[in-house]
Amino acid sequence: MPVDKDTMIEAIDVNKEYRRSGAIIRALADINLTIKSGEFILIQGPTGCGKSTLLNVLSGIDLPDSGKIIFDGENIARAQEARLSKLRRQKIGFVFQDFNLIPTLTAIENISALLWPTVLREKEIENRAIAALRDVNLLERKDHYPVEMSGGEKQRCGLARAIIHRPRVILADEPTGNLDPESEKQVMDLLKQINKDMETTIIVVTHRGSLASYANKIVKMDKGAIINIK
Amino acid sequence: MMVLREKKQFIVFCLMYTFLIFWTSYSIELVIKTPSLGLASTSFFMALGVGIFLSLLYAWLIVRRNSKTIATLKCIGWTNKDINSLISGFILFTTFMGFFIIVEVLFHYAAFFVYINPTSPTVPLVNLLPVFVTFTIFLFFQILAILLANRKILKVRPIIALKRVGV
Repeated sequence: MPVDKDTMIEAIDVNKEYRRSGAIIRALADINLTIKSGEFILIQGPTGCGKSTLLNVLSGIDLPDSGKIIFDGENIARAQEARLSKLRRQKIGFVFQDFNLIPTLTAIENISALLWPTVLREKEIENRAIAALRDVNLLERKDHYPVEMSGGEKQRCGLARAIIHRPRVILADEPTGNLDPESEKQVMDLLKQINKDMETTIIVVTHRGSLASYANKIVKMDKGAIINIK
Repeated sequence: MMVLREKKQFIVFCLMYTFLIFWTSYSIELVIKTPSLGLASTSFFMALGVGIFLSLLYAWLIVRRNSKTIATLKCIGWTNKDINSLISGFILFTTFMGFFIIVEVLFHYAAFFVYINPTSPTVPLVNLLPVFVTFTIFLFFQILAILLANRKILKVRPIIALKRVGV
């Protein structure tokens, strides 16, 4: 179990509404959630229950209509875009359902891309990218383009990109949604390994109940509200 | 590096810029030699019009075609400024390549005629001065294109990188 149990993210009275074809949809309704540092959390619920919206709001990708998001001691609910970008670059790693690798870049370049705008030297970035690829057992694919990789390999590449900067939190939106069961296990095992070894907080949005064994906290949502935390 | 990997788009626009720089330079050369409002100046203004249209189209296309990449880069921590620099690099690199190609072609043209007939004075197809004037004008167009791209980049929200928007 992770040692550090300080609060990493706290959502306080968070609300979010969308307007769709004239109708107002309440995506998040009075969400209160505390995520401790080093936890592995699954957010589950049926399609349209607001779990992805919650993930987006927790990471500053989307802003809540009301309430507070305290991320590592800082309220990001009303932060400027430049501040949010810096926060994401320093403290958050993203894993996407459809990988979102840049098709014209090789695996190692895709991973390095996160650090290109930083002051780090090219050699240092390359070393970090190689280390990240080694962590996800993908070093032999470093010069391959996304089109030359399988779904599982693409997702492991995405995972390497998410850890190259040693983030405090990894947010994964349906990371195994496009994978076969074997690749799903590989990716989830890697996430668990990262959670254990680096004490990184992991938040995974999924509709698959089979992943419950990986988490130490499961948040169930329905109709924009948290209905159960265990 | 990224611009070179977008081979089709890069080559097409690079060649179009090459042609346009030649067309504009040649028109300027004709205007200088025959300073009257006629075919030459009409050709010059047409080339400028096409040039500005093409520059803005290129900027618009780059942002539109790469909107998911831009959103992903925003998600992983790139600022608008970082992405603006990347796209400005795309635009300027293509223009510079177009310029270098036309200079190369003009040098080779002159060299070829000196080679086959060393005794007669060589008349260059277009003098270098109109080419440099044209290049300066095109750089100005690229500034407008970069401004347009910057506006478009601001409108790309990081949430686009995630497949399912909203609930």
